[in-house]
Amino acid sequence: MEWKRLRRKFAKNPLNLISVVVFALFLAMAFFPQIFTQFEPNRMNSAVRMISPTASHIFGTDQFGRDIYSRVVHGVRETLSIAFLSIVLACVLGTALGVISGFYGRWIDQIVMRLMDAMFAFPTIILALFIIALYGASQKNLIIALGIVYTPIFTRTVRGSTISIKQFLYIKAAKALGKRDLSIMLKDVLPNLTSVLIVSFTTNFSTAVLSEASLSFLGLGVPPPTPTLGGMVGQGSNFLLSAPWIALFPGLFIALIVLSINIIGDGLRDVLDPRY
Amino acid sequence: MIATYIFGRVLSAVPTILILTFIVFLAIHLVPGDYIDIMLGTQNYLTDEQLSGLYKQYGLDKPFVVQYGIWLKNLITFDFGTSLRTGQKVSAMILEKLPVTFELAFFALFFSLVFGIPLGITSAVKRNRFGDYVVRVLGLIGLSAPTFWIGAILIVAVSGLFQDYTLFGFVSFQKDMAKNLQILLIPSLTLGLMLAAQIMRMARSSMLDVLSQEYVKVAKAKGVSTWKVIYRHALKNAMIPVITTAGIQFGYLMGGTILIENMFALPGLGRLLLQSVNQRDYPVIQGVVLFTGVFIVLMNILVDILYTLIDPRIDLR
Repeated sequence: MEWKRLRRKFAKNPLNLISVVVFALFLAMAFFPQIFTQFEPNRMNSAVRMISPTASHIFGTDQFGRDIYSRVVHGVRETLSIAFLSIVLACVLGTALGVISGFYGRWIDQIVMRLMDAMFAFPTIILALFIIALYGASQKNLIIALGIVYTPIFTRTVRGSTISIKQFLYIKAAKALGKRDLSIMLKDVLPNLTSVLIVSFTTNFSTAVLSEASLSFLGLGVPPPTPTLGGMVGQGSNFLLSAPWIALFPGLFIALIVLSINIIGDGLRDVLDPRY
Repeated sequence: MIATYIFGRVLSAVPTILILTFIVFLAIHLVPGDYIDIMLGTQNYLTDEQLSGLYKQYGLDKPFVVQYGIWLKNLITFDFGTSLRTGQKVSAMILEKLPVTFELAFFALFFSLVFGIPLGITSAVKRNRFGDYVVRVLGLIGLSAPTFWIGAILIVAVSGLFQDYTLFGFVSFQKDMAKNLQILLIPSLTLGLMLAAQIMRMARSSMLDVLSQEYVKVAKAKGVSTWKVIYRHALKNAMIPVITTAGIQFGYLMGGTILIENMFALPGLGRLLLQSVNQRDYPVIQGVVLFTGVFIVLMNILVDILYTLIDPRIDLR
């Protein structure tokens, strides 16, 4: 692929570039939250309980006098890392299942795809919530739960592409030459999936952020006092009429994170997918 | 012909539903500890004999496959077991909460179509012009903003603008229709706006597809006015995939309702699910999750069948 040409095409849309910058800013918050904040996210200060946004507390404070802005910045890390790792897990599992399913076809394909159909029958949140309810809410379990929930999407996409790649002459040639199946799958099929995987990865990454936020909102995310964006909206919902900033600012951050990923995803799809 | 098709389609769902029940059953069984441990909690004063009696009573002494078989047999008669906390039948609990969730999902779907379809069509017709960009940006924001955040904004806005608007305190449709609709308006609008973004994107791309077809070009070349072309020729064909999406989404709205019901304190299925999660009431959790899955599978079949009936181009074989 000619990366230079693709990069230029991507950069032609100013919205894409803005989104990359915004997302980079969120990444910086996730890795170095201290640079952006002056308060400890969990420090309570009864002198400044539930005060509306001011110069020193630009997003206001919550019912314990904690600085909302500091908590939001620290919450970005939790949200981004859980969403990212769960999609990595889903991508690895889904690609493996999808390539095997598409490559071998027949009964293997039948079994894998029926299993995926059954998992597809659950709304994302319900299935993830089910797993969390059974095994408990922790960072590790959230990653596993969301990873499992997003696996069928990758399996389906990868399976479809594998079936069409399988028809290519060089794959048939490799088979005729007696190359081992595993080697064909890894060296000939997988590289052809790159652009499909990049696009699915970004689109599902953004919905995974929303799923993590939703679970946290319901009180099933990483347990307190660790700040999570969804959890802050959930708890702030009790004070919507007296102190709306407690819930609204963390929600705004979720929306901005997802929006920047979505725009980048749309941009990548325009560049990488020949159909658009 | 159609009867065979419908029969085949329904039959094809049986394995999916079977696997679905197996996933739910297996997931519960992989949990460390079992029903008895959970019921007893930390206050376990029972003798070993009493314990094994309890195990027998709940069938937990039988092998895994037999337990699954018995459970499955009960499911077929709509017996989801009983709640560990209230002793009520799970099926009765689900049926009691279902109308609230359905009503919410129904109005949400209504709002999503009312906003999504006209905006999507306008966007397609005005392609690459100012209106198109505005609609597309709105759509992206709708897809990106978390539902519960939109809900929070609407609560703040409505209570600020209309001081005496009642937002909370659900009453059933049968009891007080006006109050019921008033309470459900904001929650279903919240849920509907999220779905509207998806419907809108779908309507736009579908409309663009149809507008590039030969017969639309011919109609335009004949001198038929743009809006008449759209109304007479394009709309019907473009809406088929949109309605299909909407139908499938109705099932998946069950995921969104859990957020909205908990935010607006609506006594529906989603609230029941979260309450049972917090109380570790496994039979109820199992029942609601399973019900949702099976409902969505059946919903998809229904959409498939309707789709074939509406669109004569689809091959039934």
